[in-house]
Amino acid sequence: MDSNKKPILEFKPKLPALTPKEKKVLNLLVQAAKLIVPIYLQQENRKFPGSNFYPHDITKEEIERAATNNPEILSPYTVVERKSGKLVAIPYHIKYAKLLKPVAQKILEAAKITQNKEFAKRLDFQARALLQGNYDEAAIYWMSMKPYLFNFLIGPVERYEDRLFFIKTSYQSWVGVMDRKDTARFNKYKPVILGSRRKVMMPSEKVDYYDKVQGRIDNAVIYTGRLARTLPIGINLPNDPNLMEKYGSEISVFNQMNQIRVRDEILPIFNKIFSPEFKKTFSNTDLEKGNLYVVILHELAHTYLRYRNSERNLKDLFPIIDELSASVMGIKVCGSLLLKDIMTTKQLESLMLAFMSRCFYLVLEDSKNLSRIHYIIGGSIFLNFLLESGALKESGGLSWPNFTKMFMSLDELASILERMLYQGTREDAEAFINKYGNIEELQRFSR
Amino acid sequence: MRYKFAPIMKRMAVKNISIFVTEKGLKEAKDELEYSKKVKRAEVTARIQQAREFGDVTENSEYDAAMDEQALMENRIVELEKILKSAKVISVSSTKSDFVIIGSTVAVEMDGEIDEFTIVGRVEADPSKKRISNESPLGQALLGAKTGESVEVTTPIVRYRCKVLEIK
Repeated sequence: MDSNKKPILEFKPKLPALTPKEKKVLNLLVQAAKLIVPIYLQQENRKFPGSNFYPHDITKEEIERAATNNPEILSPYTVVERKSGKLVAIPYHIKYAKLLKPVAQKILEAAKITQNKEFAKRLDFQARALLQGNYDEAAIYWMSMKPYLFNFLIGPVERYEDRLFFIKTSYQSWVGVMDRKDTARFNKYKPVILGSRRKVMMPSEKVDYYDKVQGRIDNAVIYTGRLARTLPIGINLPNDPNLMEKYGSEISVFNQMNQIRVRDEILPIFNKIFSPEFKKTFSNTDLEKGNLYVVILHELAHTYLRYRNSERNLKDLFPIIDELSASVMGIKVCGSLLLKDIMTTKQLESLMLAFMSRCFYLVLEDSKNLSRIHYIIGGSIFLNFLLESGALKESGGLSWPNFTKMFMSLDELASILERMLYQGTREDAEAFINKYGNIEELQRFSR
Repeated sequence: MRYKFAPIMKRMAVKNISIFVTEKGLKEAKDELEYSKKVKRAEVTARIQQAREFGDVTENSEYDAAMDEQALMENRIVELEKILKSAKVISVSSTKSDFVIIGSTVAVEMDGEIDEFTIVGRVEADPSKKRISNESPLGQALLGAKTGESVEVTTPIVRYRCKVLEIK
């Protein structure tokens, strides 16, 4: 999405029949979601790696020094400012208090109307989190409640905008309505997929919460803030491994966002990159389903890969390794699904192609999009790794994948990335990114 | 399930292949067919009717879901009828076999991981209950293997060595 555009994306999904009260609740949540946009715009700044979370003239070292005396400087929920020559950390709920008040009011209004008691309580927790800063409490309650028709998150969540430390969170929101049929199907296969990978490379470092993962497929009604910039198809929260270990996580996958991404990003690049003979063997539906599997498997694979100290060890490079690792591991587990007839060869090929096309899109068409920089670098690592292994061949500028070699390559890449997550250092990650993350050499594919 | 049976039906039509099924599996298939015809059909029809009453069907996801379910259910009825016609009942021995047969529960090591599942006829396969089809690449490779034996499981994309640790 163009960064000059207002970060709001509204969808018009087909929804189940809603009661008048449910309609009101949904409408209030959409209004609340729109009201956080001005806060996100105050945080966003593409010119500085620390966006507007820190003073623009500051160095990383200066922040780290200040944080040794005042840990709040590196809290996910504070803005760092200079006051009388000293660095101070201002909590979000104080810094943005005026803008947050109407958001919380809308959420509280919805809490009074909804007839689902658990959801009312969740709305109440979320409103209080915005006003008082007790975000963990809201996340814990969310993880403990039974899945409900509506789902939402309005508040500071993702850390990608902080390209300096990968710590500060950006305001974002989504509001979704459950697709019951697809959710039931997802949850039927979730244990099969989670159960197909049990090997743990370093058990003492592993955050184990396999049994506490909830999954749902939603029809998105609105994305705002950071989400409207990155347009993710799947979201896996909370981000804090300690919370995940104790209370679990929830994976939300958005059907229409997948259709949009396939239409706007994957199909055009697929048609551009691959030879006409090869393209004929895969339909648009193959790629759409393939990409949806990639996203679901990616989110589930995060569950295999949550190691206690990865973020601390890999620092700002953690999201590059973590996100690519989840995608590659997600595809790797398909090997076991294929051998057990849970997945067909065609489905596995389709999802590998969808992921490869997505990587090509990021590298060739979206390389200047700072919102997606972690995925762009991850994509180039993946493609360069495939090229080095011979899984991807060039012939007159077009590439023809060898799926067997590609799967072997994926297997190797998955092991390297997972090793980096449980025992790698920032220097290891940097060396790996320098070796395989070169975007320039891949530009020849755009010709 | 709709993805699962289409290829079987195609193979059956071409080669007139029997589908192996245990007595329990045969009973389950018969029960499901009876339930689908006598109960589920009526339920789905009622849901379609109810969804119509919500108003404009073009904006109504419940109507779409009910129509989808009806199509799936009717396909499933046809499939079950064909499967039951071609079913070949196999007896599952209560004594432990020295080698893997349909009905064996096996513990295997594959790709550095230990897994356990039961090999069943295709009709009874249900990955969520750890029941793997005898026609799957893994099922085919394991049938006849003894404890301690390693077999190669191959597909056009994936190749793994699989070692039988225990036959239960």
